[in-house]
Amino acid sequence: MAGIDPQPLSHQALPPTPRPGFARGLSGAAVLAALALASAAAPLMADGATIRRIDADPVVAALLDGRGSLSFALLAGVLGGVIGVGWAVAANLLAGLVGDRVERRMMRGATRLAGLPLALLVPLAGGLSGSVGLLALATAFAAAPAVATLAHAELDALMRAEFLTAARAAGLPEHEVLRRHLIPNALRPLLAAGMLALPRALAAESFASLLGLGLPPALGSWGASVGLAARLGDPLALAPPALLLALALWAACAIADAGVAGPASRIGKP
Amino acid sequence: MSDPGLSHHTPGHHTLGHPGLAAAPVDVDALTLMLGDHVLLDRATLRLERGEVLAITGGAGSGKTALLGALAGQPVPGVDVAGTAGVDGRRLLIAQGGRLAPRRPLALQVAEVVGHHLGVDLRAALRRVADGLDRMGVPPAARRFDLPPEQLPDSLRWACLFAMAIAIGPALLLADAPCAGLDPTVRLRLLHRLADWARAEGTALILAGRPEDGLAGPADRALSLRRGRLVPSGPDGEPQRDAEPAPPGHPLEVPGTVRLRAHGVGVSYPLAPAPNGERRQLTVLHAVDLDLRNGETLALLGETGSAKATLVRALLCLPPPTTGLVAWMGRDLTAAATTTSGSDDPDPAGLRRARRDLQPLFPDPAASLDPAMTVGAQFAIVLESLRPDIAADRRAHRIAEALEEAGLRAETAARWPTALTAAEAAHVGLARALLSEPRVLIGDEPAATLSADERAGFLDTLLAARDRRHLSLILATERMEEGLRDAHRGLVLLMGRVVESADAATLRTAPLHPYSRAMLAAARGDRPDLAGDAPSALNQPAGCPLRRRCPKARPFCAQAMPPLEEVAPGHRVACHYWDMPDNGDA
Repeated sequence: MAGIDPQPLSHQALPPTPRPGFARGLSGAAVLAALALASAAAPLMADGATIRRIDADPVVAALLDGRGSLSFALLAGVLGGVIGVGWAVAANLLAGLVGDRVERRMMRGATRLAGLPLALLVPLAGGLSGSVGLLALATAFAAAPAVATLAHAELDALMRAEFLTAARAAGLPEHEVLRRHLIPNALRPLLAAGMLALPRALAAESFASLLGLGLPPALGSWGASVGLAARLGDPLALAPPALLLALALWAACAIADAGVAGPASRIGKP
Repeated sequence: MSDPGLSHHTPGHHTLGHPGLAAAPVDVDALTLMLGDHVLLDRATLRLERGEVLAITGGAGSGKTALLGALAGQPVPGVDVAGTAGVDGRRLLIAQGGRLAPRRPLALQVAEVVGHHLGVDLRAALRRVADGLDRMGVPPAARRFDLPPEQLPDSLRWACLFAMAIAIGPALLLADAPCAGLDPTVRLRLLHRLADWARAEGTALILAGRPEDGLAGPADRALSLRRGRLVPSGPDGEPQRDAEPAPPGHPLEVPGTVRLRAHGVGVSYPLAPAPNGERRQLTVLHAVDLDLRNGETLALLGETGSAKATLVRALLCLPPPTTGLVAWMGRDLTAAATTTSGSDDPDPAGLRRARRDLQPLFPDPAASLDPAMTVGAQFAIVLESLRPDIAADRRAHRIAEALEEAGLRAETAARWPTALTAAEAAHVGLARALLSEPRVLIGDEPAATLSADERAGFLDTLLAARDRRHLSLILATERMEEGLRDAHRGLVLLMGRVVESADAATLRTAPLHPYSRAMLAAARGDRPDLAGDAPSALNQPAGCPLRRRCPKARPFCAQAMPPLEEVAPGHRVACHYWDMPDNGDA
């Protein structure tokens, strides 16, 4: 029988090189985790009794602000990610049930919305109502269309993948194809698309707070502190929240990018 | 398409453009190329006369690009060069893939290169390129060079690059993987024209590429780059072997009864409605009839756009064809497949039984494996679905058997698809197809992703499995010789229609349709007798789809699509003038 020689197959096997984005994503995740931990521990650093921000050390004050910024970004980001991914999945489901036209309309809507400066809705909502819930909803809605377009593109590519045809050739009924092949392969790209909402939510909230139309002052926010320091002309108070905000934005973007790029391969994975 | 009076070069012959050049523009002595510790080329000696065309073939990573880089005086970074590579006169390298900036107008890019080399202004450069395009046989109507390269067909892009080389008129022209990815008939036509020009103008031409690209055809001499040595290679680009691998020693078995029958199979896709609201559709496959007998091997031959892949999918009912029917052992599969997609498996056993017997081989085997599962896990799902008679604890054994039959080790089951090389993936695809112990394998270019040696190995394994299991086989391919070598019968497809069907021996020796003849010529490295490119599927000419390229075309060809007529027992041709000589005075 004509067998394959043990080694000399096609090209020289290259050592598996992880994509550069993946390492960046890991460091982004580490930075974001460190920021979240430091913010959570900030009250302990502020000499126990007083956690008022005016007389505190500017770094500690910025870390205290991080609690508000990061937890709001998490809330609005998760909400936006869920809305965006749900939008794309709903479009794909409706395409199967009703027809391609509904899907195309829904996604055209998402593409158009993604092109609008939706981030302006956030200060608008903050200025009009001031309730955190409404602000979170507006932030989520501002982030969702971009998530939906990416998630839909990923799903579209996946639905055309050849291994689904191979599964059908093996006689698997559609619901089995969905359960065995489509869903396991869709989870990672959808999660990655949802991750895009996090940096968007953080940026939109900081922008609104910078204008003074964002989170209520009691919660604290990097954007609000930067705005306040700028108005007072205090560079020492301005630098820490601005730097932490930039760091958090970079980290969130790096995580989202790495999620979209994906790990290089599954070599060695059990 | 008469060639301008091209003469073969004689050594020492001088052309007007290059007075005073030495007789041998290329004189390489003891050239050694090292990539780190790895020797790409070991003390090669090479002498090329003016007007000589040399083909250098070699597999992936054999150092062709590094050698051309050294000859062009642009060493590839990381490659150490020792020895002398003397080139007398201007040299020009057409880099791999013929890459150009995708968004700038093509004319501008080409004219800039010509202007840089010759020191002429843009207008003079464009005029010279236009002369070169005449030489390459590009009709003036096709020259839309104010467009960027990404909007032009690849064949035109390559013709334009060759025209640029002709305009510059170097003493040595190096082309790395020229016309890779083009259809064989188009590729060989362009390469023959380039070689004719090189011989006429006294330019030394080196064509480098994979052995399966057919570069040896237009060349005077072919060398093969293997394990750091340049060795003479045989007529088909393969290195010469002492014992020519004989065509199948045993005579092919006589096929039995008809098992798979396709009648009037057609596939069309809906297009966006016309401006007046009229529904439109694009028909890519026109009512093809096909019978496959027990133990028969059928080759589907055709180039890009011939709908051979569509036919393969239609036969497998993935998805079922829009018209016509496919019957396996007398059972209509199209009806079964269409009803299952609507409701909940009214006849699961019947269709599943057919799926077990008819297994596909995919053109991109790596993409046909689920990246989220090990090979063994997805094989187990296939077995669970198609072979419920195999108990769950026997599945691992059957998987190991199938992998070993496909020439892999049983441990491959534990590997992840992304960790497989292209060749391993192809063999895994074969193992999956054999898993359910089918009766028919239907392959759509299953070896398309492999290079020459791997192809041969894969096809050997496939044919061994066929002979052992007495499988029927349908193989779609654009390589005529390779497809027919082990087949009983061949169908030549053109734009979704069968234009010739005959037994393999007839097709290999005396095909009658001009398209089959051109494909055969291209497969042998000869000059295919077809002009221009294939028309777009959206803009087909009326009548015969080949008539704008065909040497036999006459006015009547525009009026009616020729029917498939029997010209000899078992030999059917769809051409109005298959028995007439070529027209024109060529």
